[in-house]
Amino acid sequence: MDSESESKSNILMLGGGEEEEEIRKTTIHKRLRKDKELNLKPESIFQKPIQSKSMEVEIWENLPEDLFEPVLARLPVAAIFCFHSVCSRWRGILTSKTFYEQFQGVPRSYPWFYTVTHTHSAMYDPSAEKWHRSTVPFLSENGNQNQIKSMVSGKGIVFPVASDGGLICFLNLNHTHIYTCNPLTSSYRELPPPTNVPLWSRVSVVMVSSTDGYKIMWLSCTGKYEIYDSSENKWAHPVPVPPSITIPLALNFRSKAVSLGKTLYFMRGQPDGILTYDMSTGTWKQYAIPLPMSFRDCMLAESQGRILLVGLLTKNCANCVGVWELQRMTLLWKEVDRMPSELCLEFYGNSLRMNCMGNHGGLVFLSLKSRQVNRLLCYDVAMREWRNVPARVNEFSGTTDKGPWISCGTAFDPCPGAIA
Amino acid sequence: MITLTSSDGVQFDVREAVAKESQIIRDMIQDDCVITNIPLANVNHKILSIVLEYCQMHVDKTEMEVNASKHQTTTGEGSSSVPVALKVSSNKNLNDWDKEFINVDLDTLYDLILAANYLNISGLLNLTTQAAADIIKGKTTEEIRATFNIKNDFTPEEEAAIRKENPWAFE
Repeated sequence: MDSESESKSNILMLGGGEEEEEIRKTTIHKRLRKDKELNLKPESIFQKPIQSKSMEVEIWENLPEDLFEPVLARLPVAAIFCFHSVCSRWRGILTSKTFYEQFQGVPRSYPWFYTVTHTHSAMYDPSAEKWHRSTVPFLSENGNQNQIKSMVSGKGIVFPVASDGGLICFLNLNHTHIYTCNPLTSSYRELPPPTNVPLWSRVSVVMVSSTDGYKIMWLSCTGKYEIYDSSENKWAHPVPVPPSITIPLALNFRSKAVSLGKTLYFMRGQPDGILTYDMSTGTWKQYAIPLPMSFRDCMLAESQGRILLVGLLTKNCANCVGVWELQRMTLLWKEVDRMPSELCLEFYGNSLRMNCMGNHGGLVFLSLKSRQVNRLLCYDVAMREWRNVPARVNEFSGTTDKGPWISCGTAFDPCPGAIA
Repeated sequence: MITLTSSDGVQFDVREAVAKESQIIRDMIQDDCVITNIPLANVNHKILSIVLEYCQMHVDKTEMEVNASKHQTTTGEGSSSVPVALKVSSNKNLNDWDKEFINVDLDTLYDLILAANYLNISGLLNLTTQAAADIIKGKTTEEIRATFNIKNDFTPEEEAAIRKENPWAFE
């Protein structure tokens, strides 16, 4: 309150003589506006469409063209796609290059999550707390797009393994097919098969996008790796991992690799720590960083330039999700938060498993699975808030009333203009 | 101090830092360092006073933060945890203030969008266009057509085809 009254007194009005009267009026006018404003709920205008419609239409109609796009670019992603069907002019605006640029320029608080259960795949929008069916197009020969079953064909089951710039990279189980896809628009590309990916053995995949396309890298425990460049549409075989890096890498495959700028972070064991690869210089580094005690199911997450470790702490049947942050100076994990005890109680004494997606921006999606109950949670890193995710029971039918268990998934930035 | 004159001739005397929240004023001041009086032909005094209220608050908050972090470094506490917590709470306060600030009628909101665009105050333009987006986001396609006085030029078949392109958005 103090700062507000102070701010008003700082905005002095100049003048003298007759003008002073005018100024006094202005001040009064200002007060009136403020008073009026306090009594006026903005909803009232829109909840009574009959009274206000003509005024509303008049105001919106007059909005200059160049200010129209910035308003539309701030709509929720689902609304943008809904409004494609308003009229051809709107459709033109909403699918134009300048609109996509505007959209990219709007800071969005949260990523979306692409999730896969054993029967379904779905997208979760944490801002709207809403689930959407997935419409990944490839392998859906029978036109049944929303079910993972449709991904079962000659090419096997396809899993989301990495994402960046609005695109998700999908890989099939035996590594013969790799796709990139924008799950919002169904724009997709089948990548040429990588020449050396070991069949059936596990690889860590990471994706980095830039203005002129994207790169995808796979890495196996043997230290073999390849990098795909979308602008050339081919795989490159860079120089081998230097001898200073301990092989085998003992990669933690349950943890997604995260990228900060051009640097990729992989989680490794033996010794426990982090392996980094700089995309621009091609340099590898490894850091031995001991894991916190009694810590399991741990995975890397990234939030506003911070590298986080999310995992389960288990002590005498008590389970808790903990969040650690990498201390770059000391090369240690420092605890930054724990799940509140009222949430932990639900999982007491149960053999708990956790899956975590936090590979993009600010929010970590957690899927917890115990004998009695499955639960989905989101953790907001900046606000330090733990939120329940509504489970969409119908969509995840087959997971019984325990709730869904997300076996696999990735965070991604929803991006209407991203082209695979 | 800088004097800003609204389109209807009311003068506002503000600190340079407050006026410089506007990119267009910042450019003017940089080009001509002795400038003290800036007429703003496209903003009336009612809207200008609201705009300046916004700028004042944001300048005050930023300065407070800078002072707090200065204090932090002089007391020699190198740990990052305190300023982060402080920053989070101060950002939260400012966001709450913004939310309350933009709680205006549609007429004012419209004028604020135009003013923020004209004066090139990116924070205020973000805030106002987001507020406008929040108003229309809950509307159905039909309501949008009514609100914007738009005639649907799609045939029912075309409209159905568009809906089929992105079925997930229409659930």
